[in-house]
Amino acid sequence: MGGYGDVQMIDENGLRMDGRSPGDIREVTIETGVIPVADGSCRMTWGTNEAIVAVYGPMEAHPRKIQRQDRAVLDVAYNMAPFSTTDRIRPGFNRRSREISKVTKDALESVVMLELYPRSKIRVTIEIVSAEAGTRCVGLTAASVALADAGIPMTDLVVSVASGKINDVVVCDLNKEEDNYGEADLPMGILPNSGELVFLQMDGDLSQEEFSQAWEYNMEAAQVVHGMMVEALKGGGSQ
Amino acid sequence: MSIPIVPKLLRAHLSDLSANNARIDGRSQWEGRNLVVEHSILPRAEGSARVRMGDTIVLAGVKFQIMQPYPDRPNQGGLMCSADVRPIAGRNWEAGPPSPEAIELGRVVDRGIRESGCIDVDSLCIIPGEKAWQVILDLFAVSDDGNLFDAFALAGIAALRNATVPAERFEVGEDYALPVSKTPIMCSYHKVGGRFVYDACSREELGGDERIHITLGDDDNVHSLQKGLKGIFSPEEFSEIMTNARERTKELRKIVDSM
Repeated sequence: MGGYGDVQMIDENGLRMDGRSPGDIREVTIETGVIPVADGSCRMTWGTNEAIVAVYGPMEAHPRKIQRQDRAVLDVAYNMAPFSTTDRIRPGFNRRSREISKVTKDALESVVMLELYPRSKIRVTIEIVSAEAGTRCVGLTAASVALADAGIPMTDLVVSVASGKINDVVVCDLNKEEDNYGEADLPMGILPNSGELVFLQMDGDLSQEEFSQAWEYNMEAAQVVHGMMVEALKGGGSQ
Repeated sequence: MSIPIVPKLLRAHLSDLSANNARIDGRSQWEGRNLVVEHSILPRAEGSARVRMGDTIVLAGVKFQIMQPYPDRPNQGGLMCSADVRPIAGRNWEAGPPSPEAIELGRVVDRGIRESGCIDVDSLCIIPGEKAWQVILDLFAVSDDGNLFDAFALAGIAALRNATVPAERFEVGEDYALPVSKTPIMCSYHKVGGRFVYDACSREELGGDERIHITLGDDDNVHSLQKGLKGIFSPEEFSEIMTNARERTKELRKIVDSM
């Protein structure tokens, strides 16, 4: 969160700088099968965010000490390409991407039916090639599409959306400027069929009422995006 | 990259094909795969390109930083080129610090672009001895089905030729197009089944021997060469490759220059 700026980001009609209403999400496109050499893949754009995800496996897990006798291990890596942001990111170790990799893995492990593939490994690689705001949500959502594209059984897809607060107004899916001046951020990973959660983070300052509103926006947006994910998986492309 | 187990059957198969003047994917000896080059496809990069050669897909992104010129070259900016092949690009590529293969890729592409002199480092100077532009070209593999070298080199020069120097953002004047005066092009040849072929796919790389990379400039001048992997080649073989590279680089240069 960039702190409490005095920048006005909601106009007199209650619209945001990019013309959206508080509950609207940015434009989303989803494409599967974008990496010919991978077992499953997905390219997802969300505003000017772009994530590319590859899934390899189930394949042999080695070294053998990482194997689990009763289930597959899930190897999840989230990374931002050096040219994905305004200031270049130096490649290499990075605490932020390690944390996001971990929480993404925790979310995906909750839905992937790992017990079907004992002693094997499933590798999920999330690369952000263009970042705006909310890359962890785009990465997690795209990863669940890529896993489905690879034909790996899951109990549900995961839709990840964030809502936040700008100028004391709760809004869904913050863009870059809103994120810079935003006062709160609540990303959630939602199972669209049951409404249950597998991923939750929050930072900032929200009253109980604002929190409920943000929660509600995320739940509604998840249904919209879920429809597009299903279309993309059925047809190989969606708007 | 983990060392793939080279199946003897694949090698034998490639030899048989080669004896019949055929290739595993039906191409002729000097035929490249379907090529698509696009530029300005990444919203956060000052210059970018996507190259698709068959099932090999790569991205290139150009970013700028302001650097202090080196004391011995106070009037020059810098060019940096780095390649990363992350696990997204194929099941044999692993996470971690760049592998020797990825470092070789970056360095060979870098030499071709740098030595061609297509970027005038003197023009990158802002205030002598104090401020100069550092151009950073990042090459990123999305899908590795062989010959990342040529794909990287092509994406790299296409991205540079369409890059904008973000002077306004750094408050040192107005934005302008990065001057790139030449178009160095790389062509790579792999020895498969005892003969060299152009633009090997991953199965040919897996069951092949040495590879040779040639970068030629606008006037056919040679700017970089690299021989990789175990293998022996004769001067006759090399001259055959060079003849082919002269033709092929011209075709590719036309595509890049017309963008």
